[in-house]
Amino acid sequence: GVMAVSAVHLESDAFLVCMNHALSTEKEEVMGLCIGEVEASRIVHIHSVIILRRSDKRKDRVEISPEQLSAASTEAERLADMTGRPMRVVGWYHSHPHITVWPSHVDVRTQAMYQMLDQCFVGLIFSCFIEDKNTKTGRVLYTCFQSVQAQKGSEYERVEIPVHVVPREAIGKVCLESAVELPRILCQEEQDTYRKIHSLAHLDPVTKIHNGSVFTKNLCSQMSAVSGPLLQWLEDRLEQNKQSIVELQQEKEKLLLELAAL
Amino acid sequence: MSVESSMLRRRTSSRRLQFPEDSAFEEFPTAGGIGIDRDVSIMAASISGYTFSSVCYHSANSNSDHEGFLLGDVRQEETVSISDTQISSAELVQVVEIHNHDPCAQLFSFYDYAGKVNEENLNSILKDRRKNVIGWYRFRRNTQQQMSFREQTIHNQLTQLLGVPDLVFLLFSFISTANSSTHALEYVLFRPNRSRYNQRITLTIPNLGNTSQQEYKVSSVPNTSLNYAKVIKEHGAEFFDKDGVMKDIRTIFQVYSALQDKVQAVCGEVEQSERVKEKIQEDVNKLKQQIALRKRKTAEEERKIREAQNADSHSSPEENTEPSESSLLSRITFHTPSAPERPSTSPNPPSYTDLLSQDDSLLSSSSPPTSAALLPRPQAVGSPGHPTPGPLGMGLGMGLGLGLGLSTSSNPVTTPSTPYLGNGDGSSSDSLDRQAAGQEDDDDDEDDDDDEDEDSSEYENLVSEATHLPMVSASVLAQGRPAALSPDGDARGSQTT
Repeated sequence: GVMAVSAVHLESDAFLVCMNHALSTEKEEVMGLCIGEVEASRIVHIHSVIILRRSDKRKDRVEISPEQLSAASTEAERLADMTGRPMRVVGWYHSHPHITVWPSHVDVRTQAMYQMLDQCFVGLIFSCFIEDKNTKTGRVLYTCFQSVQAQKGSEYERVEIPVHVVPREAIGKVCLESAVELPRILCQEEQDTYRKIHSLAHLDPVTKIHNGSVFTKNLCSQMSAVSGPLLQWLEDRLEQNKQSIVELQQEKEKLLLELAAL
Repeated sequence: MSVESSMLRRRTSSRRLQFPEDSAFEEFPTAGGIGIDRDVSIMAASISGYTFSSVCYHSANSNSDHEGFLLGDVRQEETVSISDTQISSAELVQVVEIHNHDPCAQLFSFYDYAGKVNEENLNSILKDRRKNVIGWYRFRRNTQQQMSFREQTIHNQLTQLLGVPDLVFLLFSFISTANSSTHALEYVLFRPNRSRYNQRITLTIPNLGNTSQQEYKVSSVPNTSLNYAKVIKEHGAEFFDKDGVMKDIRTIFQVYSALQDKVQAVCGEVEQSERVKEKIQEDVNKLKQQIALRKRKTAEEERKIREAQNADSHSSPEENTEPSESSLLSRITFHTPSAPERPSTSPNPPSYTDLLSQDDSLLSSSSPPTSAALLPRPQAVGSPGHPTPGPLGMGLGMGLGLGLGLSTSSNPVTTPSTPYLGNGDGSSSDSLDRQAAGQEDDDDDEDDDDDEDEDSSEYENLVSEATHLPMVSASVLAQGRPAALSPDGDARGSQTT
């Protein structure tokens, strides 16, 4: 049959955020939602992504809660207001660290479920931390898919959807905001876990000290592995932009003179 | 020049991502993995995920190859290893840390076609960052994972000029499946100045790794000793504040909080700078357009005058009565950017960069897509941007789109009543082998011949494609290269489970 979606166009700054997120950890799958619009040509255009917390961290349980979908819809409305274009949640992405880029049976079924609500909903998967030991070649892969049922009652199957990263020279505001959410999300997760542990009344002081130290240690890891590099990248980007602005300004003045001379 | 471009064509002709993948691709070693070399000093290299993503981002924004410099640090570390079989030995490890990358705005910015490096240009690009350069990188599409001759030439000169004996070279290669649904970015870090055996270094991307929350203890080790309880309570109290909260928790949270505030602040500055940059770029583009328009007008006017003068000097009095405006009009051709000669048909294909510079001017003038913009570029496969004329797109007029739930902002996303829970078996959806594409050396030769035929068929597809997809934005078309139709047919067909 004919799929409702012909292709996916992913803006490069949204792609950047997905990559940042996927590369943030090799020990678990990360996930998020894609915000954008579906064009009349049946092309899904993704303008930005939202990083999500995973409530169930078990392997391959990549699910989105109703609250998260609702929050994402609000975010979509905000983006719609900002851009003046109709925006909504158009898909989801998640990472496969050390694993093949193809969606698992669970992924395909999850995707099929979302498609029941919105046949244009698409899935993206980023596979990373892959290496060929012989050639010392590393790889990052990404794929786009939807699900289809061959016959009623049969298993869902993956359908490949073409995906292209569309250039965007400047990073959008929404993408930047999404990028800096990651440390906050990580800290929140840690706090929630600690709070649950801390509320256990029967722990002796040494155990409490241990747990407090685990919290401290984990927060330190987050800061050195995520916040720190993020801040470094932001500073470098700022520097680069300042440089570009100076050069562009010079070019602009040169062109103004040239135009005046004609 | 033509030898060069045909070399380039051969090299860029054909790596395509195919599945099943090679079994050689396995799990990445845990962060900090060190390759064992035959050289005395072992080398380890790392790059932050943010820098890596940034290179991918800049590359995605480029139509062509993309290159830049790697800034960072190289230091020696001594690792002491103790094993059962030998007395503890100290190994000298050279650690390469890539902190940042400095992208080049365009190719050939510091070297020429022959690969000769211009030191002046190099300095003006690097400025005071020159002392931090530890390597350089290149992003290419559909090419083999090895250094080209020109790259080697450039590398040698950079080594000399920058005075970095162990200058590294990071090669990114981008390949895609024929239907563009799956893309791979491969990366290899070379140290070309070493002997042939240890040219490649594993590049690790440090990450959060394992901050396992399983390390929290949910119960205490049972202990009936009253002394134990008393001592730990008395002395352990030091760790807790009056609310029973561990002091360290508050302290570290403050560190995190301050850091996050700083991240937000700098993010705000970056956002502002992005908008300023965007605006000035827009102004520059408009000015270029205006200048081009003005030049065109003056050229046309000059031509008109010349035509009129010629007509006057050659015509007889009778002919002068009709102003020959129709002949003037027929001679005035619209000044469109001249289409680059299609590489497959011309005897001397235009150089790679000629095509590049033409496309750049197309982009900056943001004109509606002309036929030139739709022509396939030398690197045919793995394009960002252009939707494939594959089976998904075939035979579908605009009419079909109307009934299929077009999005409007009023279209609510209804939330599921229960979050979907899979059976968590985590099993892969492939009963078939799905491993990363291996080396496609065998394909190279046959694809060479196929290229020219593919180019012509793609051109036809693209031209007809434009009439079917008017909604595709101009910028996408202007930059898009068609995904090559696989000579074997649609890759999707071979993938069905």
